[in-house]
Amino acid sequence: MTGPVIGRDYDTAVWSWSQHLRGGGSTPWAQWRSGDHDDRPPAGWIPPGAAQLEVVRRAALRRRRPAETAALADVVLSRSGPGRGRAWQPLDWPGAPPRSFGAPAVDPADVPVSELLRVAAGALTELVLRPAGAEPSAPATGRRGLLTRTPPFELAGSPVTTSAVRRELAARGHVEGGRKPTVVLLVEPLDQALAQVWSARVQRGAPVRWPGFVDRWAGRRDLPPSADVAAIAALWAEGVGADRVHVVPGPASVDDAVRSTVAAIGLRPGRPTTAGPARWRDLSPAAVDALRRVNSVLNVRVAEQRRDIARHVARDALAATVTGEGDLHRWTVPEAHRDWVTDRARRLADDLSQGGYAVHGRLDRVVPSAAGLPTQPRSTDVLDVLLGACLHRLSSTSAARPPEGAPRP
Amino acid sequence: MSEPTNRRRVLVHVGAPKTGTSFVQDVLWLNRDALAARGVLYPADRFDEHFLAALDLMDLQWGGLETQAVGAWDRLAQRVRDWPGTAIVSHEILATATKEQVRRALASFGEGADVHVVLSARDLVRQVPAEWQENVKHRRTIGYRRFLDKITDPARDGELASWFWGVQEVPDILDRWGSTLPPEQVHLVTVPRPGAPRDLLWHRFAAVLGLDHDTFAAETSRANPSLGVPETALVRRINKRVNHGVLVNEDYRRLVRELLAHRTLSQRTGSPRLSLPDDVRAWAVELSESWIRELSGRGYDVVGSLDDLRPDPADPAPYADPDAPDEDAVADAAMQSIVTLLEESARLHHDEALMRRERDAAYAELERSRGLWFRVKRRLVRAADDNRVAGFALAVYRRARGR
Amino acid sequence: MSRKVYLHVGAPKTGTTYLQDRLALNQAELARHRVHYPLGVYASQFRPALDLTGMSWGGIGAEVGGEWDKLMRRVRKLDGTVIISHEILAAASPQQIKRVMDDLGETEVHLVYSARDLARQIPAEWQEGIKHRRRGTYKKFVETVMTARRYKPRLWFWQVQGLPDVLSRWSGGLPPSRVHLVTVPHHGASGDVLWERYCDAFGLDPAWAPQDSFRTNVSIGGAEATLIRRLNRRLKQSGLESEPYRALIREIVVHRTLAQRPDMAKVTLPPYAYDFATEVAHEWIEWVEGSGIDVVGDVEDLVPARPPDDEVWADPDRPRRTEMIDAALDALVALALEAGRRPDPEHQLPAKVARAARRIRGS
Repeated sequence: MTGPVIGRDYDTAVWSWSQHLRGGGSTPWAQWRSGDHDDRPPAGWIPPGAAQLEVVRRAALRRRRPAETAALADVVLSRSGPGRGRAWQPLDWPGAPPRSFGAPAVDPADVPVSELLRVAAGALTELVLRPAGAEPSAPATGRRGLLTRTPPFELAGSPVTTSAVRRELAARGHVEGGRKPTVVLLVEPLDQALAQVWSARVQRGAPVRWPGFVDRWAGRRDLPPSADVAAIAALWAEGVGADRVHVVPGPASVDDAVRSTVAAIGLRPGRPTTAGPARWRDLSPAAVDALRRVNSVLNVRVAEQRRDIARHVARDALAATVTGEGDLHRWTVPEAHRDWVTDRARRLADDLSQGGYAVHGRLDRVVPSAAGLPTQPRSTDVLDVLLGACLHRLSSTSAARPPEGAPRP
Repeated sequence: MSEPTNRRRVLVHVGAPKTGTSFVQDVLWLNRDALAARGVLYPADRFDEHFLAALDLMDLQWGGLETQAVGAWDRLAQRVRDWPGTAIVSHEILATATKEQVRRALASFGEGADVHVVLSARDLVRQVPAEWQENVKHRRTIGYRRFLDKITDPARDGELASWFWGVQEVPDILDRWGSTLPPEQVHLVTVPRPGAPRDLLWHRFAAVLGLDHDTFAAETSRANPSLGVPETALVRRINKRVNHGVLVNEDYRRLVRELLAHRTLSQRTGSPRLSLPDDVRAWAVELSESWIRELSGRGYDVVGSLDDLRPDPADPAPYADPDAPDEDAVADAAMQSIVTLLEESARLHHDEALMRRERDAAYAELERSRGLWFRVKRRLVRAADDNRVAGFALAVYRRARGR
Repeated sequence: MSRKVYLHVGAPKTGTTYLQDRLALNQAELARHRVHYPLGVYASQFRPALDLTGMSWGGIGAEVGGEWDKLMRRVRKLDGTVIISHEILAAASPQQIKRVMDDLGETEVHLVYSARDLARQIPAEWQEGIKHRRRGTYKKFVETVMTARRYKPRLWFWQVQGLPDVLSRWSGGLPPSRVHLVTVPHHGASGDVLWERYCDAFGLDPAWAPQDSFRTNVSIGGAEATLIRRLNRRLKQSGLESEPYRALIREIVVHRTLAQRPDMAKVTLPPYAYDFATEVAHEWIEWVEGSGIDVVGDVEDLVPARPPDDEVWADPDRPRRTEMIDAALDALVALALEAGRRPDPEHQLPAKVARAARRIRGS
C-alpha cells in the first residue's frame, strides 16, 4: 500500500519528478504531471510531501552544480520537516477519487512559504550536523600582553557594532583590558541596538522571533543589559570616573565607530594584520531568522555541548550567503512599538546627557529616526538564505556524506 | 501453537489523546519491574521517557522540554532491540508521525521483531471538545467557535487544524503507521460508550498488550480530569493575560496547568461539561460514519466494536457555550483560584523564610572561619540577592565586563 | 522654652496620609523653622498612637508598649511648634486623653481635627475595612452607621468620624480659639487647597515643606471591593494567617493591581442615605457654630453634595459581573506572577546552603 492516493501512475509521476528535480530540473508539477513517465519507483519508496519537493525545486532554480543539488535533494527528501506545521500533503492529481481522510492534496507551487521554511530549516540543521572538513571559525581571542603599549581600554554597547570594532582593533594589535581603562560605549539608535541584541541572542542559541522579542521587552521598565547603556555608563563611571567614559552615539558606519574609538582612547594606528571573525557576526534579519529556526531544531536534535559547534557552522554558512554591501545590516522594531522605542530612547539619551561623560557626537542620534527600515524579515528572503546556506555547506564540504545506513529517497 | 521463539514483539501504542492513554502509561510505569519479570519491557527510566522519545523522533519543540529529549528515541530503540521478549512503547503524540518518521521508527526496532501498532479511539463528539480543552491548557487563547470552524474546514489551514487531524484522524493514523504491516498486527481499541463499566477499557487494553487485567489493575492517581465549561473559559482568559512574556512556560506549567487546572478547577464537578453544538455534532456523526465504513474494510483487529465510534445523535444535556459561559460560575472559579494562589504564595513565603534563615546561618559559620575581605564580598553578593536593584546592577556589571 | 503642641487627631480619610507623608519628607526643612514633626525609626506616629489607645490592630498592638512615652520624651526636648498627627487618636477614651494632657503639662496645646462630608466618609471607611479583612456588605455597613448611636458611640465609625463627639472628648479644658476644625473641600477644588488649610491650622508656611508627596490613599471601585470582600470570606474559611495575608493581599492585590485599574466604578453613598447625611451635617454645623471653635475652611463643606437626579447609583454589592471577573483576573495574574517570581525555594537555596556547607567543611 502506498497511501491513500491510489494509482501507480501517481507514484510514477511523483518518483520521476523527484528524480528530475534532483538532477537539477525545475519544471513545475502542474506541467510535469500531464506528461508520460514510466520510471517506476523502487520498492518500499515513500513519496515525499509537496512541501519537500517544492523546496528542492526552488533550490534547483538556483542553478548550482549538479552534485550539490542532488546532495541537497537527498537531505530534503529523506526527512519530513521538523516540528509542527502542515501535515505531509500529497500532490494534487486530477482525476483522483475524493479522499475520505488524510491531508488535502495540493499543487507544490501553492504550498505556503511557512511550510517551505520548516523543511528548509530542517535540511540546514541536518547538514550542519554531518561531520565534514571545514570546522567553524573561532572568534579572535587575543590576549592582552602585560607589557603592551596600548593604553588600557574597554568596549561595550550594541553587540554587533562593538564586536566589529573590537575585531578591527585586535587586528591592529590592540586588545582590551588593563587597570583604570578608558571605556568606550558604542550606542546605536535604540531600535537597532535591540535588533543587535536579538541577533546576538540568536547567535547564542535562542529560538525567539523578532516580533516576540520586541513584545517581551516593550512591556517592561528595564532594557536588555547590553542595550541599557545608561546603566553600563553609570557603573563604569563609578569605577573609573565619568570623564573616562566615552559615548559614541549612532556611528554612521563601522569605520566611523573605529575612528571615534581610536580617538577617544588615543590609540596609535598600528599595523593592520588579519584577524579572525567578530564574535557577533553582522547578519541580515533574514539570516538571523533562519538561524533561530535552526536553533529550534538543534534544541531537540543535539545535546548542549554539540549545539554550539553546530550553530557556529550554521552561522558561518548563513553569513556566507549574506552579501556585505556597505555597512552593518539595519532594521527596526515593528510598527506597533515605534512609539515605545522612541520614548524609551529619549529617556536613555536624557540619562546619558546627565552623566558627565565625554560624548562624541549628538546624543539625539540614539533616538530612532523614521528611516524606512524593514520591520521584520521577509519569509521569501529567509527561504532564500536557508537554501543558499544549504548549498554553501554542500559546496564547501565535498565530503558531506550522509551517515551510514541513511535511506536514499 | 508455537511461534518462532526468537522473534521479538514490539507493541507501539500511538494514541489517541484523551482515550485513556495516560492511564495505561501510569499502569505500565508503576508496574514496570513486575512486567519485566514476566518478560514484558516498558523501557523507561523516567516517567515521561516515551514522551521525550516521541519529541526526538519528530523533532518537535515543546515549550523548552525538547532540550531533554536529545537522543531519547535512539536510547529507547536500543533497549527495545536488546530485549528478547515483548516491548511496549506508548505515547499519544506518536500519532502525528509522518510515514517517513514511521519508517525510521520501525527500522530502529531492528530485524527480527514483529511490530504491532495499537490505536485507542473514542467517538468524535467526545474528542473534539477534549482537544479544545487541551489546547487551552497549553496556553492557547482561541475561542471555541473559532476552533470548531478551523477543524471543520476541509482545507485544514494552519498548525492547529493540522495537529488536530494528526492526532485524531483514525483512518489516516492507522494508514501511516500500519501501511507496511499485515492488518492483523494493527489493533484498534475502542473506548466504550458512556455508561459502560469503568474497567472495560482497561480490560481491552490489557488484552491487546497481553497483560492479565486483574494482576495489573487500575490504581493510579493521575486521572487527568477534565474541566467544565466555566473553568475552561476562565483558563482561556487567564491565558490572554499571561501570554506574551508575562508568565514563563515553567511557571505557567506549574501554576496554571498543574495547580489551577489539574488540582483546583477540575474538582468543580458540578459545572456543565463541554460538548458540541448541534451543527458540529451532525458533522461529527457523518464523519464518524465514513470512518466506520473505511475501517471496516481494512481487516484490522478491532478490540471492542466499531459501533463505539458512532456518537449519540443528540445530547441529553442542554448545550453550554464556552464562548458565553455563566459569568457567575466563572467569577466563582476565579475566586477559588485566587485563594489557591494566595495559599501557594504564603506557603512559598514561609518556606523561603525558613531557607533564608538556614542560609544565613551557614554564611555566618563561613564568615567566622574566613577573613574580613571575604565578609565584605559576601555582604555585597547577599545584598544583591535580597535587593533586586543591586542584583541587577551586579548582573549588568558582570555582563559589561564579559566578552 | 516656648513650645506649642498641635494634636491632630483625625478624622481618618481626610487626606491625613498625604499630610503626614509631606511633613515627614520635609522634616529637616521644617525643623529649621522650628516646626517639628517628631518621628523615630518608623515613618509615622502610628505606633505611639496605637500604644496610647491600647488597640490590638491585628496583633501589632502587642509590640508597641512604651512608644507613647518615647514620643513624649522627644517632644519635651523640643522647642517651637510640635505636630503630633495620627487619625486613630480620634478614638481615644477620656482617660487616655487625660493622660495626654497630663503628659504635655504646661505646654500650649492646640487641637486640630479634619472633617469631610459623610457622603464621602461612609464609602471610604467601608473600603478601608474591606482592606483590613472585613467581610460585611456595603448595605449592612450603611445601615449600621445610620442606626448606631452617635453620642458616646460604640461603633468605630462614629468614634472617629463623629465630629461633636470627638471634639467634646478632646477639647475639654481647651479654649475654643485653640481648637481648629479643618474642612475638606468638595470635589473640584484643587489639591493644594486642603494642604494650605492644614498649614493654616498648624501655623506653617507652605514654603517650609516644599517637597510634594505622591502617596495618596488608594481607593478602589465597587467591583474590586466586592471581590476583596468575597475573598475575605473564603480566606476566613481557609484560615490564612494575618502576616502573609497582610503582605500579599494588601500590597499586591489592592495597591499594586486593583488600584491601577482604569475606569473603576467608584463607591458612593446610596441615594436613600443622603437625607440622613445632610441631617447629621446640619447638626454638626450647628454644634461648630455654637462652640466658637476656629474653622479653617468652610462649614458648608460638611454638607454632602447630592449627585444629579438622573445619575444612576452603582450598587457595590451588586457589581457588573464582567467588571468583577475582570478585577479577579487582574488579581489572579498578579498573584501568579508573585508565586512565579519567588524562586522556588526547593530549587535554589538548598544548593547555596550546600555549597556554603562544603566550604565550611574545608574542601
